[in-house]
Amino acid sequence: MSIAFANEVTVWIVGATLAALLAAALAIGVLSAAGKISVPLRHELWLRLGSWCGLFPVMIVPVLLGREWTIAAVTLLSLACYREYARATGLFRERLLSLAVVLGLLAANFAALDNWYGFYVALWPLTASILAIVSIPQDRPAGYIQRVALAVFAYMLFGAGLSHLSFMANDPGYRPIILLLLTTVALNDVAAFTAGKLIGGPKLLPATSPNKTISGALGAVAVTTLVVTLLGGALFEGTVLSFAPWLILLGLLVSVAGQAGDLMLSSIKRDLGIKDMGVVLPGHGGILDRFNSLLLVSPIIFHLVHYVIGLGTGQPTRLITGGG
Amino acid sequence: MDFKLRPARDLGLAPGERMRSLKRESGLFGTVTSGLWRRATRLYLRLAHRLEVVGRENLPAAPPYVLIANHSSHLDALTLAALPRGEAARGVRALAAGDVFFGSGRTTAFAAYAINALPVWRGRMKRGDLATLRQRLVEDGLVYIIFPEGTRSRTGEMGEFQAGLAMLVGGTGVPVVPCHVSGAFEAWPAARRFPRPGRVRVRIGPALDFSAVANDRAGGLSLAQACQKAVEDLR
Repeated sequence: MSIAFANEVTVWIVGATLAALLAAALAIGVLSAAGKISVPLRHELWLRLGSWCGLFPVMIVPVLLGREWTIAAVTLLSLACYREYARATGLFRERLLSLAVVLGLLAANFAALDNWYGFYVALWPLTASILAIVSIPQDRPAGYIQRVALAVFAYMLFGAGLSHLSFMANDPGYRPIILLLLTTVALNDVAAFTAGKLIGGPKLLPATSPNKTISGALGAVAVTTLVVTLLGGALFEGTVLSFAPWLILLGLLVSVAGQAGDLMLSSIKRDLGIKDMGVVLPGHGGILDRFNSLLLVSPIIFHLVHYVIGLGTGQPTRLITGGG
Repeated sequence: MDFKLRPARDLGLAPGERMRSLKRESGLFGTVTSGLWRRATRLYLRLAHRLEVVGRENLPAAPPYVLIANHSSHLDALTLAALPRGEAARGVRALAAGDVFFGSGRTTAFAAYAINALPVWRGRMKRGDLATLRQRLVEDGLVYIIFPEGTRSRTGEMGEFQAGLAMLVGGTGVPVVPCHVSGAFEAWPAARRFPRPGRVRVRIGPALDFSAVANDRAGGLSLAQACQKAVEDLR
């Protein structure tokens, strides 16, 4: 317990998350009682809040429990996201390619568990090569570009991309960093939704996502950048990253990459002609509908932080394979 | 089959609903579990029932096709499912009685993930359900296992074939392969809870082509009669 909450930023984030859930419940309750919101909107808000109440413990508890738990949770999340993607795009019918993506995804998370950065980095081009090669012996050139491109894209998002969250867990101070990402990405979505509803105005990209407005996008950028800058200031105190321009860049990237991930999934869904990727989470749709914002945030923020102050530097490497 | 950028037919169904859906398409997990089950049943049939297959050359080279047979035991379905190889084996779907195989959660999971069955609800099938089955047979290149008697014979004697088969294959050109299973009733009749060892033999006849048969009542009766005769001739 004391290790889990060793950093005060962890305490703040977990406390603020609980407070936000309570405040949201109160706000919806008050607005409903006053008759300020329509019945369908009220229903949607309660469903979303209910899903958040279930999701937050599933997201936060493994991070608090420890490195291995975090990596296990990220691996399961990646597999669940890939499953939805494969079933939505039809890639699941390509068993060999699908198996190769899953094995690549497991290998990336194993490299994180092993804290073997060389292997981890090598896996991206190696898996892409394997995906390009593996279906050639089937002698079915028709559709080759589509199926291989879909598989490489899948590995990029759910293998190489999301596993950066796993690799972050090798840093002794990983808890507040990962919690910061998980919660601010969620905050980013909520801020965009709320600012869009409150301010309204012109649509952002009506063909891609008809409900998103420019005001929502800018509101999210403002709120998320502010929160990340403030929390980051405490979290990275005494390091180069506590320099204000770095923190603002960090906040901007979380918000912009988060929204880009959301819009990326909207583009995928529009292209396929489907509304949701799944039915697991009431009010949200599939797991991927909820975690789309993390897909691009994870690698981008990992590499920014790693570049500026280093993540996991000085920690023992190759814990399982040895030779580190 | 060429790659198509097309969502799973069962997309958007909740897990329980999906397992009972005629639109269910297997993913990696389902392919592995049903593959293991298929290998286990082949081994079981070889060891416990010394399964003998006559006329394997009559199986079409590639799916889609429909396997039909006399029905007096659960071993019939296991025996027919053990016949196709390769891609055809992965495409095998037994059309199974919904009330027996998809009644409880446990049997549903078993039917969906091990035997890869699709539920047929006696007297409750809608026209849309049959259209789905027909479409999937042709488009997904499946192999259906169908027992046209509709239920297991309680005496071991073959009953009359029902006309419903025509609604699946009439006019499609999908070959129907008649089979006759012997020894299964003695090993595992409907009255027994568990099977006992005993020789099982299956004879496979030449495929029947019903592309000229209309998908209507008259067509259904003539198709059922032709199928019944083809299976009887294999005895």
